[in-house]
Amino acid sequence: MTGLLAPGPGRDLSLAGRAPGLVIARLVFLRAARSGAAWGLVFGLFIILQTLGYTSAYKTPASRAGLERAYGNNAGLNALLGQARDIGTIAGWASWRFVGILGVLGALWGLLTSTRLLRGEEDAGRYDLLLAGQTTRRRAAAQAVAGLGAGLLALFIVTAAGTIVAGLPASAGFTIGQCLYFSVTLVASAAVFLAIGALASQLASTRRAAAAVTGAIFAIAFALRMAADSDQHLHWLVWLSPLGWVEESRPLTSPDPAALLPVLLLAAIVIAMTLRLAGSRDLGAAAIRGRDVSRPHLTLLGSAAGLAVRLMRPAAIVWLLTTAGFALLLGSIAQSSAADVTGSREIQQAISRLGGHGSVAAAYLGLTFLTLSSLIALAAAGQVGAIRAEEASGHLENLLVRPVSRTSWLAGRLALSAVLLITAGVAAGLAAWAGAAGQHSGLRLGSLAAAGLNTVPPGLFLLGLGALMLGAWPRRASAAVYGYLAWSFLTEFAGGIIHTSHWLLDTSVFFQLVPAPATSPDWQSAAILTGLGLFGSVLGAILLARRDEHAA
Amino acid sequence: MSVPAIRAEGLSKRYGSAAALTGLDLEVAEGEILGCLGPNGAGKTTTIRLLLGLARPTAGRAEIFGLDCQRQAVEAHRRLSFVPGEASLWPSLTGAETLHLLGRVQGRVDAAYRGELIDRFALDPSKKVRAYSKGNRQKVLLIAALSARPDLLVLDEPTSGLDPLMEQAFRRSVQEAREAGQTVFLSSHILSEVEALCDRVAILRQGRLVEIGTLAEMRHLSALSVDVTFGGAPPDLAGVPGVTRAVTDGPHVHLEVHGSVGPLLQALAGTGVRELISREPSLEELFLAHYGPGGAAPELTATRAGAGAGR
Repeated sequence: MTGLLAPGPGRDLSLAGRAPGLVIARLVFLRAARSGAAWGLVFGLFIILQTLGYTSAYKTPASRAGLERAYGNNAGLNALLGQARDIGTIAGWASWRFVGILGVLGALWGLLTSTRLLRGEEDAGRYDLLLAGQTTRRRAAAQAVAGLGAGLLALFIVTAAGTIVAGLPASAGFTIGQCLYFSVTLVASAAVFLAIGALASQLASTRRAAAAVTGAIFAIAFALRMAADSDQHLHWLVWLSPLGWVEESRPLTSPDPAALLPVLLLAAIVIAMTLRLAGSRDLGAAAIRGRDVSRPHLTLLGSAAGLAVRLMRPAAIVWLLTTAGFALLLGSIAQSSAADVTGSREIQQAISRLGGHGSVAAAYLGLTFLTLSSLIALAAAGQVGAIRAEEASGHLENLLVRPVSRTSWLAGRLALSAVLLITAGVAAGLAAWAGAAGQHSGLRLGSLAAAGLNTVPPGLFLLGLGALMLGAWPRRASAAVYGYLAWSFLTEFAGGIIHTSHWLLDTSVFFQLVPAPATSPDWQSAAILTGLGLFGSVLGAILLARRDEHAA
Repeated sequence: MSVPAIRAEGLSKRYGSAAALTGLDLEVAEGEILGCLGPNGAGKTTTIRLLLGLARPTAGRAEIFGLDCQRQAVEAHRRLSFVPGEASLWPSLTGAETLHLLGRVQGRVDAAYRGELIDRFALDPSKKVRAYSKGNRQKVLLIAALSARPDLLVLDEPTSGLDPLMEQAFRRSVQEAREAGQTVFLSSHILSEVEALCDRVAILRQGRLVEIGTLAEMRHLSALSVDVTFGGAPPDLAGVPGVTRAVTDGPHVHLEVHGSVGPLLQALAGTGVRELISREPSLEELFLAHYGPGGAAPELTATRAGAGAGR
């Protein structure tokens, strides 16, 4: 075996000629590029399917004018996705929809990736080994940032490929230059939040704290952009948010590259600060020191389930508040959205296609609650990842060598996750009601609470799928759940417009969801999804009890 | 007759085509301290994971106090505590919070003894786990395990990362466990630790149990070490019955003798012996005898120092 590692005659030991000083950049690049390419694939497919959907659904000038009348001045949608300009043209529609959705997803990718690959790796102690090599802390940080940049390039390349495939045909009619500029805009928010995540990784003492800091900055940026786009008088706020700068670049309709300059400037300043802090602090320490000594707080430390509650509590509270806040905002703009489109034949048709029969405000919430359901499903996938991380980190072993059975541990974790999802759904419904009640929309508390609950079954189904994977292929559990979530998202948001096979659409967990409160929740479908989730959980628990415990 | 603390019958574990443990038959009596030795990959940790029910055997079975390690794992765990070699704890909890949690989950804890152990191991329980060194994290798990006063302590290289002073504190704690009638299964690379603490020693090699017994029994089965210094040129002793190894260095000869020393003494008579020292093999020598090139079987070697032989 050792022969495999022995250098051949005349070969040195410095990684076969690779400069040893670039090892960190290469390691970070490999992981960031893998993740960037995967997300880029989702972005690219989304762009292709959505463009196909638009060009096939709105073929005539009349139908496109109708679309513009229906959605062009909708305050609710403007707040959610950004200002809709010229959406009667494919260029305007693509700028609005793709920048609004993919810009946000790109920002999330950026913050998760940089905090994972910088602070997460430092938390795990792997930077100690790397920094023992021929480098300094500042140079190591520079390499890591360069690796992240290369990962961003991977995201850009795959996204651009999707944009070119979708944009070059005559039906869309974009030039290659337009496609490339558009793709730069789509990944610009990812670049900003990669940089902010890198800086937060120097400031915070744990990966979780770094992600929370970056997440809070993202939430503020999103709220500013929403406020700016919901009221013309507040539009100046758009210049206070990086997401607003990206929106103002208007890549396909009236390109304004100057709007991207603040993006570049901010990223450059933040990276410079990152490198400065990385060079001046101890490895493993944070620029903002956390408290390493504290009096014991023994609440909830009496059982495995209590421990799980305690560990997930901070993230759960932040997440519940975010979900409820988002729903409150949706509720508070639902009535004005309804006023914008009252009498619109297209909107009425869209509602009837979805099986709705309620008011336009209810229809708006029915459609936007589908987005809320995606958020709850994302939280379910995050819970599966957290459960697997307990095992992979070796923390779970401390419990399983004591009188705690694997089945009861998994059942407890899944039950807690399910409670979190249900609470989020109901809280979202109640918050939307509170927002809507202030605008005298006439939407009832019971119907919005039920609509909130209606968003939960896809998350419960994903939780069951995750449990099954945890029992059968634990190391693939997270990838499988996130992969299925991405598939469902693509199928739901793109497949719905393209007239494709019903069998294919049925593979999306979101396709089983009805747009409550525009229509009454379909409790039968909800029960089936929940039952399937429960079945997956039981099967997963049985398999977990019959396999070896696996650390990473 | 009392139920043994640990019983394994034909216990085997394969990972794909690799055999990690093959046909382990083992019994550890209640109150006994058994040391488990073997190089990396010998099967020590696999044995422990099978006993704890963390891994499922490919064949055979194991019991803890008569409780099946797979089907009755929870009941078995009520009677044991485990310390792994690699302490992986929740970084956001303090030492005190971790000890409280592990004690509550275990279901029993001697709080006064826990306080005594915290002092003995010089642990600062107010620090968060993320601020602890490797040795301090190991202390948390040792204190949690010992303070539960379980019937069985399963220790997998428990002192890795501890300094020599703490190693002494650990030995004292195991002695106290012995006096309290607790059983200890100790896997360790520190041979002096095993030699000092254990009633019996089991030696694993490539997933098989190659030797088990008390140190005295193992010494009887192993070579006696004899160093002879001659007044003049030493005679050739390689052919003397019982001599399995002879290394000559000037007037000094190092011999290893299996069985009776009578033939050697007869051969030495009238050869001008100036000094003769004999001693039983240390545990380190016993261990190396099992893991030297060529395996456990002793071979007759007669070499001269400096000629590249020796062990």
